[in-house]
Amino acid sequence: MKKLKIFSILFIVFGMFACTDLEEEPIGLLAPEGFFKTDKDVEAAIFGAYGRMAYNYYWGRKMSLTIMLLSDIVDIGNPATPSRRVQINEFTSDAYNGMVSAFWPTSYSIISAANAAIAGAESIGGLDETRRDELIAEARFARAFAYYNLVRLFGDIPHIIEAVTDPEALGDISKTPAAEVYAQIIADLEFGKQHLPMTQNARSRGSRGSAVTMLADVQLTLGNFSEAYNNAKWVIDNAGELDYALEADYQDVFNALKQDASKEAIFVIDFKGLIRGTEGDDLIGPVTGVISSDMQGWDVAVPSLKTYESFDTNDYRTSVAFVTETPVGGVMTPYTEWKYARPHIAKYTRFPGNAQGNNRQTDINYYIYRYADVLLMAAEAGNEVSGPNAELEGYINQVRLRARNAAGVMNTIPLDVASGMSKDDFRDMVLEERKVELSFEMKRWWDIKRRNLGDEVFKGPNSYEPHDNFNDNHYLLALPQDEIDRNQNLLPQNPGY
Amino acid sequence: MKKASKLLEALIYCSCFSKKFLIMKITVLLLFFGVAQAFGEKSYSQTARISLDLYDVTVEKVLDDIESQSEFYFLFNQKLVDVNRKVNIEVKNEKINDILTDLFADEEVNFLVVNRQILISPKDINVAEKTTKTVATQGNVVTGKVTSVNGEPLIGATVVIKGTTIGTATDVNGNFSLSEVPSGEVVLTISYIGYLSREVVPVGGTVNVTLDEDIVGLEQVVVTGYGGVKKSDITGSVASVSAEDITAYPSIGMVESLQGRASGVQVMANNGEPGSSFKVRIRGATSINSSSDPLYVVDGFPGATLPPPEDIKSIEVLKDASATAIYGSRGANGVILVTTKRGKTGKTQIELNASYSVQNEINRLALLNKDQFTDYINEVDPGALDGALIGPGTDWQEEIFQPGQIQNYQLSFSGGNDDIKYYVSGILFDQKGVITNSKYKRFSVTSNLDIKATEKLRFGANIFARRSIRDGIRTQEGSSGSYSTGVISGALTAEPTLPVYDDDGNYAISWIGDPNDNPVAVANELANEDVQDRLQANFFGEYDIFRDLKFRINVGTSINNSRNGYYQPTTLLGGANVGGQGSISAGKYTAIINENYFTYTKAFGNHDITAMAGYSYQSTNSEYWTAAGQTFLTDAFLWWDLDGSSNYMQPNSGITKTKLSSFYGRINYKLFDRFLITGTARYDGSSRFAKNNKWAFFPSGAVAWNVIKESFMDNADLFSQLKLRASYGITGNQAIAPYQSLARFGTVHTIQNSEVVNAVRPTTVANDNLTWESTAQTDIGFDLGLFGHRLILVADYYSKITSDLLFNMPLPEYSGYSSMLKNIGSLKNSGVEFTLTTVNFNGEFRWTTDLNFSVNKNEILELPDGNDIFYRVMPGHMVGINTTNVLREGESVGAFYGYVYDGVYQEGETILPGNFDQFAGGEKYKDINGRDAEGNLTGEPDGQINGDDRTIIGNPHPDFIWGFNNDFSYKGFDLNIFFVGSQGNDLYSFTLMELETLRGIMNSTTEALRRWSPTNTDTDVPAASLARGYHASSRWLFDGSYVRLRNISLGYSLSKSVCNTLHLGNVRFYVSGQNILTFTKYRGFDPEVNYRTDGSSAGNLNLGFDFGSYPNAKSYTLGLNLTF
Repeated sequence: MKKLKIFSILFIVFGMFACTDLEEEPIGLLAPEGFFKTDKDVEAAIFGAYGRMAYNYYWGRKMSLTIMLLSDIVDIGNPATPSRRVQINEFTSDAYNGMVSAFWPTSYSIISAANAAIAGAESIGGLDETRRDELIAEARFARAFAYYNLVRLFGDIPHIIEAVTDPEALGDISKTPAAEVYAQIIADLEFGKQHLPMTQNARSRGSRGSAVTMLADVQLTLGNFSEAYNNAKWVIDNAGELDYALEADYQDVFNALKQDASKEAIFVIDFKGLIRGTEGDDLIGPVTGVISSDMQGWDVAVPSLKTYESFDTNDYRTSVAFVTETPVGGVMTPYTEWKYARPHIAKYTRFPGNAQGNNRQTDINYYIYRYADVLLMAAEAGNEVSGPNAELEGYINQVRLRARNAAGVMNTIPLDVASGMSKDDFRDMVLEERKVELSFEMKRWWDIKRRNLGDEVFKGPNSYEPHDNFNDNHYLLALPQDEIDRNQNLLPQNPGY
Repeated sequence: MKKASKLLEALIYCSCFSKKFLIMKITVLLLFFGVAQAFGEKSYSQTARISLDLYDVTVEKVLDDIESQSEFYFLFNQKLVDVNRKVNIEVKNEKINDILTDLFADEEVNFLVVNRQILISPKDINVAEKTTKTVATQGNVVTGKVTSVNGEPLIGATVVIKGTTIGTATDVNGNFSLSEVPSGEVVLTISYIGYLSREVVPVGGTVNVTLDEDIVGLEQVVVTGYGGVKKSDITGSVASVSAEDITAYPSIGMVESLQGRASGVQVMANNGEPGSSFKVRIRGATSINSSSDPLYVVDGFPGATLPPPEDIKSIEVLKDASATAIYGSRGANGVILVTTKRGKTGKTQIELNASYSVQNEINRLALLNKDQFTDYINEVDPGALDGALIGPGTDWQEEIFQPGQIQNYQLSFSGGNDDIKYYVSGILFDQKGVITNSKYKRFSVTSNLDIKATEKLRFGANIFARRSIRDGIRTQEGSSGSYSTGVISGALTAEPTLPVYDDDGNYAISWIGDPNDNPVAVANELANEDVQDRLQANFFGEYDIFRDLKFRINVGTSINNSRNGYYQPTTLLGGANVGGQGSISAGKYTAIINENYFTYTKAFGNHDITAMAGYSYQSTNSEYWTAAGQTFLTDAFLWWDLDGSSNYMQPNSGITKTKLSSFYGRINYKLFDRFLITGTARYDGSSRFAKNNKWAFFPSGAVAWNVIKESFMDNADLFSQLKLRASYGITGNQAIAPYQSLARFGTVHTIQNSEVVNAVRPTTVANDNLTWESTAQTDIGFDLGLFGHRLILVADYYSKITSDLLFNMPLPEYSGYSSMLKNIGSLKNSGVEFTLTTVNFNGEFRWTTDLNFSVNKNEILELPDGNDIFYRVMPGHMVGINTTNVLREGESVGAFYGYVYDGVYQEGETILPGNFDQFAGGEKYKDINGRDAEGNLTGEPDGQINGDDRTIIGNPHPDFIWGFNNDFSYKGFDLNIFFVGSQGNDLYSFTLMELETLRGIMNSTTEALRRWSPTNTDTDVPAASLARGYHASSRWLFDGSYVRLRNISLGYSLSKSVCNTLHLGNVRFYVSGQNILTFTKYRGFDPEVNYRTDGSSAGNLNLGFDFGSYPNAKSYTLGLNLTF
C-alpha cells in the first residue's frame, strides 16, 4: 500500500510537468500574418519606409555623403578619413566600397517596406477605395524615391515591385534596364498625382505636391523638358492649395527649430534631436564640422577653397552656407588658422536644434525638395521648351529676392536676372543659381550628371576640385560585388569597374 | 537485496575473490564509517528485534525480509554462500545474531554483524578481527598496519593470502591480524578502494604496508547523464577532472580551472578583465551560427549555474556521441557534468581554505616615448603637434596599471549520520584587477542535503545562491571612437606628449587625430557595474519500487537576476556632449526543470544489465528591460536618477520563452564481464523549431571489449589494463534564439514634425522547416595500462560531421531581407587526443605526470550553393577595413582573409595601381588575381591591386593544444608544475594594426623606429603616411602559439602528530605562482585572447582577434588549507 501511495504521488508530480505542446507564442514581436487590419496598419508600414530613409545608412550619412562627395563642390577635408570616402570623392571607388555596401541594402529595405504596405492595403477587405488608393499612392511615392536614387547611381538594377515572401525565388533575376525603372517611377508618381492628398500632416510624407515635384525632377533628369515644366508649373500654380511658399529669410530654411513650420519644405527627411536607435542617427553635422575646434567636427566633407571663392561673398546665401570662423578653445578663430584652412559647410552645424556637442543627432530636416527648387526646375525646363521669357525670369527673381533679405536687411546682391539672355546663357545661369541656392543639399551631383558636366567641372583650370581621372563611366557607381557574388545574373558590372 | 554501489562491488572484486559478489546497497564509504562506528558505540544489532514467519522460502528471501523490516544490510558472495537453500523460519522479537545463528547453523558460514552491516562469508575466510578471534589458531599469526602514502591509516582494507580465500580487513587504526597463515612462504595481497593493490611477503610475522592511490580510478564510479558507471565499464569517451585539479589555484570560476586538464577540451580566455568569460570547445566547434558551447549539467540539472570550484567534487567531460546522446538535442557540443560535494557519515568536518594573491599584468607593449613620438609626428604631419602642449610627457601604461590582488576564502561544514547528511559551504572571491577601477567579487552559499526517509525512499535538496558584482572598465570596446575610447586602446594610442591633466586640472584630451579622452579619465570616470544574483534550488527523490527497479525525480529551478548600470559623466567627452548619459538595464531568467526516470539493474549468470528510461520537461523564461537618459544636473547619482534627465531616451523591453520536452533511455549490457554494449536514445521536442520539425530522435551505440579480462591476457603481466572502445551516434544542437522560424515585422521609428511615430517593416521571413543541426560522431579509442598502472594511456580518434547546419543564409539584398535562417551546409571536426598518466617515482619521493594532447581539424564541408561567405570583424572606429574573414568549403571556420603583405615599395620600383600607397616607402601587396573580360576571376596577376587580390592568409585554430601536469611529493612537501600550450594558431591584431599603420594620428610601438625612409630602406615597416587606410592584410597576422607555466605551487603539510597536538585534521600551507612564465612570439600583450566573440555565431566566427584586450595577469599566491 505504502509503495503504491508514494508511487502515485510521484506520478502526479510527473504528470504536472508533462507537456508536449511546443507551439511558440511570441510576445512583443509582430507577425506579418494578420497584421494588416485597418488603414492605420498600412500607414505604419509606409512610415517604416520613411523610417529607413532617416537612417545612418541612408540620409543620415552613407548615401547623402556619397552624393555630396561625388560633386565638385564638396571635397575631402582630412585626408586620413576612411579611404572609402576618399575613393568616392576621387572617382576611384570599386565594387567593394563600404559606403555603397551600406546604402544599397538600406535602399531595398525602403522598397521592401513600401511593397509590404501596398500588399497590405490590397489585402484589407472593406477598405474604402479612395483611402486604399491614397495609401497605395503614398507607398508608391516612397518606393519611387528609393528607386530614383538607385537608378541614378547605378543605372540598370534589380527591380522589385511586389511584396517578397520567398526571397530565395529572387536569387537569379537579372537587372532591369534603367529606362524600365524610370518608367515605373513615373507610373508611381503619376498614380500619386492622381490619388495622393494635396497636403499631409507632415512634410516628411508623400503628398500630391511632393509627388508632382519629384515627377518634374525625374522628367528633367530624363530630358523630357515639357513634362518637367508642366509638372513644376502645376506645383507653382497650386502653391496656395499645396501650402508652399518661400521662407522669408534664407537662414531660417536651415534653422532646425523653424523647419517644421516652414512652407518652403515639400519633401524632407526628418530627424529628431538626440534620438538615436536603429534609425534616426544623423551624422552630417560632424562630417561637415571643423576638426580640432570646439564643434568637434570630423572634417570629412569640406568644400575646396576654390569652391568657396566661386561664391559671391556679398550674397547672403554664401554667409548662410559657409562657416568662416568658429571657436577653438573658446577663442573665435578664422578659417585661415584651422587645420584644414578652408571655410566649411554651415548649413548643418549652425542651427542644429537639439544635438550632441559635435552636432550629431540633430533636429535637422534634410530637404529632398523645397519650393525654391521647384522654381528653379520650372525655369530650367521652361527654358529648354521655349527659351527665356519673363515668366521664367520671374521664377529666378523670386529666389533672388528672398536671397537679398539678410535677416531683415535688404541687400542689393543678388541682382535680378538680366533680360534678353540667350537660351544657353539662361541654362548656365540657372545651373549656377542651383549651385548657390541649393548648395550642399545633395543636389549638385545630380545636376552635373544629368547635364553631363563631368568633364567640364572636374577637368581644367576652372575646376573647383580637379579629378583628371574622371570619365563618363564615373556617372555610375559599381554594383556591390557581394551582391553580384550572390547572383551572377547581375553581371555585367557597370563599365569601367 | 539490492545491488550496491559499484564501489563496493569493486572493493570485493579487488580483494582477490575470483567471482563477483552480489552485494547490498550502500556506499563503500558508508560501510567503512559504519565499521569505524561499530568500535565506538553500542550497536544497533544489540537493540533491534526482528520477527519472521516464513515457510519454504530461500535464504535469500529471508535476508530480504530482514532487510525490509530493519536497517540491516547483507553483504555476501552468492557463489560462496548458498542463498537458494530452502528453509523454514519462525521467530518473534529476536536479535539478529540469534536468527542468523539458527539460519546458518548447519552451514560452513560465518557472519559478522558490524552495526547495521552484516558480512556473510564461508567459514574459511575471516572477514574481520572479531571473527578471527573466534576461530581456532591453526598456523602462524601475521599482524600489520595498512596506511596511505601520507601515513593515514586505511580502515577496512582487505588483506588476503594470495592463492587462498583466507583473509581479513583492517580495523579503525588500519591494523590487521591474520591467524591461520600457513607455514612456508606466503604472499599477502592488500587492497583498498581508491588505492592500487600491493603484494607483500610478511617477514617476522609483522608487515606494514603503504598503498598508493589509484590515480586512474578504474574502480571509481563515473557520473554519466542520468546515472553512473564504473570507470572500467565505460564504453564512451569520458574525461574526469578531480577536485584537486580545479582548485589548484584561485580562479574566477570552474571553467577557467578546466584549462589544460582534459584532452579534447579547449578553454580560451576571452579577456583578462576580472569577471570575464571563457570560451570552451569540446572537440572543436560544431556549428557556425549556433552556439558551440558545451552543455553544463550540475547535479543532474542541465543549464544550471556553475558552482564555484571549491564546491565541486568532480567534473566529467562527455565527449563522444555514446556519452552525450542521452542529452539529445543539446549533446553535440559535448557535455560537462559537475557533481558538487555532499556530506558523508561521520562527525562534522570543518574545512577552511584561504588564499591571497598579488597580481601584475603579464606584459606591456614597447611604445614610442615622448621624443620618438614627436619626431614621428613632425615627420608625417609637421605642425600637428602644438609645441606648447608638450610637457614632461606621460607613460600611459604606467598610469593605468596597478598591482592587483585576489582573496579567496571557503569555509565548509559537512557530516551526517546514516539518515541525514549535509554539506554547507560559503565562498568569497574578491579580485582587484591590474587596471585601475576594475573589480570582481562573488560570494556564494551551497547547501546540499541528503535524507533517507525509509529503506526505500531517499530525498534531498541542493540549494545554491550567489551574488557577483563586477566593476567593469572599458576594454575590448566595439568601437574606440571619439566618445568611446577604451582604457587599454587609449593607453596605447594616447600621445605620450600629453599630460594626464591639463593646466586647469581637467583631464587632457588628445590633440592629434579625433579628440579622444585619455585612458586615465576613462578608467576613473566611466561607471559600469554588473550585479548578478543567482538562486538555484533542486529537489530530488529516489524510491526503490522493486529490488531492481528504482525511480528518481528531480524538480529544480534556477533564477538569475541581473542588473547593469552604466554612466558616462560630463568629465568625459561623450558625457560632456550630452550633459551626462546614464542607463540601467535588468533582466530576469528563470528555468524550470523536471526529470523523471526509472533505473533497472539486473545481473544474471554472465549478464549484467542496467536500463534507464525517463521523461523530462524544461522551460525557460527570459525577460529584460532597459531605460536611459541624457543631460543631468549632476553626475553624482549615476544611473539612479534617470527621471532627473532632461532628454529621455528610448526604453526597451522584451520576453522570450522556450520549452523542451524529452523522452530518453539507455541500456548498458555486459557479457562475461568483458564485452560491454551501450545503447542510448533521446527523443526531443523543442519550441524553438519550426512547425514542421518540432521533434527529433537522437540515437547512439557503443561497444567495448575489456581485453585485459580475457584468459589469454592472464600471463601478460606487462598489461594492467586494456580496453578497446568504439561508438557512433547522432546528437543535436538546438541553440538558436527562439522565434527564429517565424516571419516578423520589426519596429521602426520615424519622425513627423519632430514627433516620433510608430512604424513597422518586414525584417524576417518565415522558415517552416527549420530544424536541429545534427552531428554524427564516430569515436574509436583504447585505454591501456602498463607496469601495474604505472603508465596509463587513453587515446581516441574521432570524427564529427555536423549537417543541417543552421545558417543565416545571405539573401540577395534587393529582396529587402539580409538573410534567412536555414539548414544548409555541413562541417567536420576530426582529431586525435590522448592522455598519458605516469607514476615516475613511487616511494617516499613520488612523482606523477599527466600529459594531455589534443589535435582537432575543423573543416567546412558544404556551404549554401558552395559560395564563399565573407564577413568582417573590426573595431567600429577603424573604418575602411572591409572583409577580414571568409567561410569557404575545405577551409576552417574563422579563416582570415585579406591582402598578402609584401613589404615596402622601394625607390624606382613599379608601383601597382589601386587604392593603396602609391609612393616609395608605401605598403606593398601581392598581385595574385584578376578578372577576364566577362568579369570572371582568372587566378593570374592583372597588374593592379584590388579586392580580387585577397586570399586566405591565416587560420585561428591551433594545430594542437596540450596540458602537462607534474606532481611531486616528499614527506610533507608537495610541488605542482602545470604547463599549458597551444601551437600553430594565428592571431589577428587590430591593436597592432592601429598602432603600426603609421597614419600619424596616434602613438605607435617602437616598430615605428624601423619605418622606411630614403635612408632606411632595408625594412618591412612602411613610411608614415597620413593618407594610408587600414587594410586587412597578412601584415597583422602573428603566430599565436604559446607555452605557459599556468601554475607552480609548493606546499607543506604538517605531520599527523603535530596536527593531533593542535587538534586539527590537516594543515597545509602553500605558495604558488600563476602564469609566471609565457613563451610566445606574439608581440601583443598576451596570446590568450579573443575579441568580439560574445554570442553564439560570433563565438564560432570571431576567433583569434585582439583589440584593446585586458591582459591576463601573473599571480603570486599564498594559501592555507585547514580541516578541523
